[in-house]
Amino acid sequence: MAYFTVDQARSIIRDAYTAAAADIPAVASGLYAADELAGLPEGAVSLALGVGHPVRHARLRSGEVVLDVGCGAGIDTLLAARAVSPGGRVIGLDMTPAMVERTRRHAAEAGLDNVEVRKGLMEALPLADASVDVVVSNGVLNLSTRKSRALAEMRRVLRAGGRLALADLVVTQALPEEVLRSAPALAG
Amino acid sequence: MLAKKVANIGFEAVVMVDRRPFGIDALASYPVFPPEFVDFLRRVMPADRHDELVRSVVVLARKPEDTGGAHAG
Repeated sequence: MAYFTVDQARSIIRDAYTAAAADIPAVASGLYAADELAGLPEGAVSLALGVGHPVRHARLRSGEVVLDVGCGAGIDTLLAARAVSPGGRVIGLDMTPAMVERTRRHAAEAGLDNVEVRKGLMEALPLADASVDVVVSNGVLNLSTRKSRALAEMRRVLRAGGRLALADLVVTQALPEEVLRSAPALAG
Repeated sequence: MLAKKVANIGFEAVVMVDRRPFGIDALASYPVFPPEFVDFLRRVMPADRHDELVRSVVVLARKPEDTGGAHAG
């Protein structure tokens, strides 16, 4: 049962992620190794909001083209950009304009010239068919009210043989209805 | 489950390589959740669920080499 319309859910999520601010890397320090975080812009590290480390599992190689769906403040985009250099590039995608700007700024601060950031929806990826080698996404699919559509889009933009590395939250036991009806729950 | 959903979309070699409990303390470290929401969860969730509200997982998969027809989402 859906408790929010698609538009309501997107609005709630955009507001929550636009307002997100953190001074300490509470999430990043639990997910990433210190040597991975070294040299990354402070803003990208402190605003890491993922739930896993899909880039580590994606086994990226130099020259590959990577799409980071829901790039947030950019930490996985930046790590992927390092991993595919030289010759590779990363497209970060987010529906929240504030996050798009943060990732652009953080890529510039990190001196990475192989990062492109686009605004868009995971359910309608603004990329051509079979245009990327790898799709990564970190804690984002659960934010979609149309998860199958989002996954189908990830499949569409991958080249044949391309790889998907997806970190997400899954419900293993039912959550109470009062939690499901709560707007802040949508942000995770 | 997520892995099944990924397979149903038309990915192959679907594997879950990481799974961890994700509880209220973990959730509280994310700035997108206001403190009032965290307090609300502590009140409404049974104590034995506080350490595992949900699970974080990492799923890997591959798009088949021969993609054939398109899959609808």
